[in-house]
Amino acid sequence: MELKTTGIAGTMESSDIQIVLEPRTEGGIEVSLTSNVMNQFGKQIVKVIRETLADLKVENAYVNAVDKGALDCTIKARVQAAAYRAAESDEYVWRTKA
Amino acid sequence: MDNYNVIAGVSFTGSRLAEYREFLHKRGLKDEGDCDYTVMILDEDYVPVACGSLSGSVMKQIAVDDTVEGAGLCAKVVSELQNEAARRGKSHLFLYTKPENKRMFTSMGFSVMAETDSVLMMENRRDGLKRFLDSIGKRGGKSACIVCNCNPMTKGHQYLMETAAANCDNLYIFVLSEDGGGDNFPPDVRYELVKGGTAHIKNAIVCHSDEYLISRSTFPAYFLKDTIDVELVRADLDLILFATRIAPALGITARYVGTEPYDAVTRRYNERMHEILPKYGIEVIEIPRKDNISASRVRALLKEGKFAEIKELVPENVYEYLSGNFAHDA
Repeated sequence: MELKTTGIAGTMESSDIQIVLEPRTEGGIEVSLTSNVMNQFGKQIVKVIRETLADLKVENAYVNAVDKGALDCTIKARVQAAAYRAAESDEYVWRTKA
Repeated sequence: MDNYNVIAGVSFTGSRLAEYREFLHKRGLKDEGDCDYTVMILDEDYVPVACGSLSGSVMKQIAVDDTVEGAGLCAKVVSELQNEAARRGKSHLFLYTKPENKRMFTSMGFSVMAETDSVLMMENRRDGLKRFLDSIGKRGGKSACIVCNCNPMTKGHQYLMETAAANCDNLYIFVLSEDGGGDNFPPDVRYELVKGGTAHIKNAIVCHSDEYLISRSTFPAYFLKDTIDVELVRADLDLILFATRIAPALGITARYVGTEPYDAVTRRYNERMHEILPKYGIEVIEIPRKDNISASRVRALLKEGKFAEIKELVPENVYEYLSGNFAHDA
């Protein structure tokens, strides 16, 4: 998936995470994370963000994440939404057959 | 958060606007009247408890009632504003706040660009400034810089650049990226004309200023006491940003500037430059304006279609552009 513009998803409310994705032509994924649970879960949050982008085949991007204690599933959903918005794509696959 | 109501809009009018202003006033703030978008949060009885506005790429007039502090309403307001800005294609946002709010905004992903005793300037990209500076790159030897609008570039600008370039190894020329609109030339045109007009200066590095140099981003007067001169605080912030972040990263030790006989704001800015920059080891060198050429004179002549006179005032490439694009009646 190729990012065309800046995509934003999520909020900075408790239990949520705000993801801002910016396109980048090279250099891979660069994550900048602000979190109130940085010491406990910082590495895990970055891991989920990176894995979600890898699943979507986003190879280059700046990620600005402001976490307020989001669960992994929330992080994943927010990253996906931001990526689709940044790619200006509406080809969501909401459900895949097992 | 369940019992709160959020209202948002392009611009409030009537009783809603009065309510917004009254709330700001109670928090010791003032509506500057130039907001593009406002968010207000009301409690279950429809009494305002938090608000914030967007003016271009600046978030302003963010206020939260004492009684609900700690409920995360400030973050909610900032989120709403950021989302709206994103819908408008603006992801790089700025805010000015009091130094004591540093921690709160840092926790929302903002980082400090410049700081004085009374005001803090922040951006929502953690490494925005660093990325900007990295993209320009530091060069060895003695570096100097010129910051200019060049609206459009004149022989006066060219003379200043040639003089500065002869006295250093690298000359960074920052062309302001802000779009003045109206009669002004767009930033990309001004930038290209400077590139063309300095092609013969081998050690010139022409750069966009992005939002990092003399940004006209409306400076919020609302939390400043009336006795503080807004233009002065804005100038100081810009110069401190330059002196503490930009100049050291690029190894700039001198800033060249043309004398300003006409514009009072620019003249005062130059005065502050002389006062502030030397404290940070940056020399300010003022070069007398060549033949009193001014870009505003060129714009005035352009309106009148006097191309013969324009030719005397601007470099060849600028003349070509102007006559090629504006001389349709000639």
